[in-house]
Amino acid sequence: MNLGRIHAIAARKFASLRRDKRMLGFIVIMPAIQILLFGIAIGGAPTGLDFAVVDEGPAGLGEVIIEELDASESMVLHTEYESISAARADIVSGELWGALHIHPNGTMELMLDNSNQQVSQTIIVEVRDALRAAVQAQGSSLPLEISEPIYGDKDPAFIDFLAPGIMTMVCFMFSLILTTMAFVGERYDGTLDRVFAAGTRPSEVLLGHLAAFTTILIGQVTVVILIATYGFDITIEGRVWLLFALGMLLGWSAMCFGLFVSSKANSEFQAMQMNMPVMFPVMLLSGILWPVQALPSWLQPFAWIMPTTWTAEAFRSIMIRGWGLEDTGIQLAFLFNAGFAVFALFIASRSLKVRE
Amino acid sequence: MVEEAGAIVAAESGRGDAISVSGLVRGYGKVAVLEGLDMRVESGSIYGLLGPSGCGKTTLLKVLLGRLVPAAGRVTVLSSTPGSPGSRVPGGAVGYSPQELALYEDLSIRETFLFHGRLHGMAAEKIRARESWLIEFLDLPEPTRQVVKMSGGQKRRVSLAIALLHEPELLLLDEPTVGVDPELRARVWDHLQTISREGVTIIITTHYIDEAGKADRVGMMRNGVLLAEDSPTAVMESQSASSLEEAFLALCRRDSKEVPE
Repeated sequence: MNLGRIHAIAARKFASLRRDKRMLGFIVIMPAIQILLFGIAIGGAPTGLDFAVVDEGPAGLGEVIIEELDASESMVLHTEYESISAARADIVSGELWGALHIHPNGTMELMLDNSNQQVSQTIIVEVRDALRAAVQAQGSSLPLEISEPIYGDKDPAFIDFLAPGIMTMVCFMFSLILTTMAFVGERYDGTLDRVFAAGTRPSEVLLGHLAAFTTILIGQVTVVILIATYGFDITIEGRVWLLFALGMLLGWSAMCFGLFVSSKANSEFQAMQMNMPVMFPVMLLSGILWPVQALPSWLQPFAWIMPTTWTAEAFRSIMIRGWGLEDTGIQLAFLFNAGFAVFALFIASRSLKVRE
Repeated sequence: MVEEAGAIVAAESGRGDAISVSGLVRGYGKVAVLEGLDMRVESGSIYGLLGPSGCGKTTLLKVLLGRLVPAAGRVTVLSSTPGSPGSRVPGGAVGYSPQELALYEDLSIRETFLFHGRLHGMAAEKIRARESWLIEFLDLPEPTRQVVKMSGGQKRRVSLAIALLHEPELLLLDEPTVGVDPELRARVWDHLQTISREGVTIIITTHYIDEAGKADRVGMMRNGVLLAEDSPTAVMESQSASSLEEAFLALCRRDSKEVPE
């Protein structure tokens, strides 16, 4: 291993990267746009849901519930319905998402258009909260009391779950895209032959590229954390430097894997194609958009061979639970990413080996 | 024992061999490219390697560089097997200019020299000194000019300059004079002859067959073997030809007759 040669390759690659303004824009602005769009489009609570209350119950109970529901941003409350059958007819025709019928004896019935799970979930939570308020106003309480959560908010937003996942995905995906093209061209236009003729080892070529790309990775991870924190107002309970360190490590494993792809692909188009079968499992199976625990049990072991699964899980622990390096899960995330990076670098240097 | 053998070879040739190849076989997958090639290049000489494209010239150069491992045969470059531990090839002892331009188009001339100089562990002042000399000698534009903004001939000269940059003792030049104007081509050959007298060994492949008349020895290559290997005049005399071109044609005709397809 010769540091001078690694430096030469890193400096050369860095000069190229700095000169390619379009590329630079792509790798800094695209992650920002992607993470912003995700945060805006996914995970927000639905609003403006038409909902009716038909109050035939004892005095006092209905008033509090209506007052509570009316204050909710999610709902547009209708109290003008004379009978529950009229409200039901409007649910059937799609005018209403649901209706709450308060019977004369004080029992209640919730009627829902259950065609949209997120909408129904929102209504159920709102009704539950209104009911609790009403019961408390009467001086009693529900048989089930939900205490202050140990981790997370009392009313968890989906974005709290999603943000660590999106951060994982953006760190991984853009590092991968960035490096898969690294030296596809160089392998065929003789430039790499000349580098090898100077006695350079494949590992030196790889480490040089990695060093140059790391300057971009630092910017990327910073942008991602800044947008998640300030753009979406997500509280980070744990330490930010830990997020940063893990984000960097994930970026490195993605880059090392990208360099491996780059050493295998015969053209830049082929390199893009080779990324596809990697990106989709990463997006869908590593608990980024939906919990890994929801995967079929036979598929779950597969999820844990991807560094993104470990990272998304650890990001959540750091951001929501406020855990630190003392947690085994977070330690494992660091170890797995480091191991993955070293392994990918090893197979990349094998594939790039000088002597055929 | 090894020293003794080397001494005998040196005594025979007078100067010793920089490169000796015997029975070299190498192909790609099932395609055979080099089929039992023998070759000898004296230290401090210019060796012109001639042959049509696809005859195996580039494959041979890559074997000499240690990039490709022979399937059979013996290869010795600067008294060791290329790529073996302790060998200086690949490394600082060799300057290589591939057939492709092999340049990073977005870099300037200065950055290009800096990159390759650093790969060879050259000091910055040394690189800068060589830069001035090479720009002057090869009639290159100002050092801040980006490669992408140069003409084909200028790029070719930058590519050649990289091979000369660290003043190696062995030069492997694959078509270094394509698209270079005749006056400059003559200057390049003059320079090669000068440094070969100082002890640098040079293998040069070229399409301009007559250009190879300036080499000390030529190897005429076809279908993975050398049809002839001798001084240009000796090759021409043996074929009773008036030019190298003619001699090569005669050799090819005889080769085709001997080995009917």
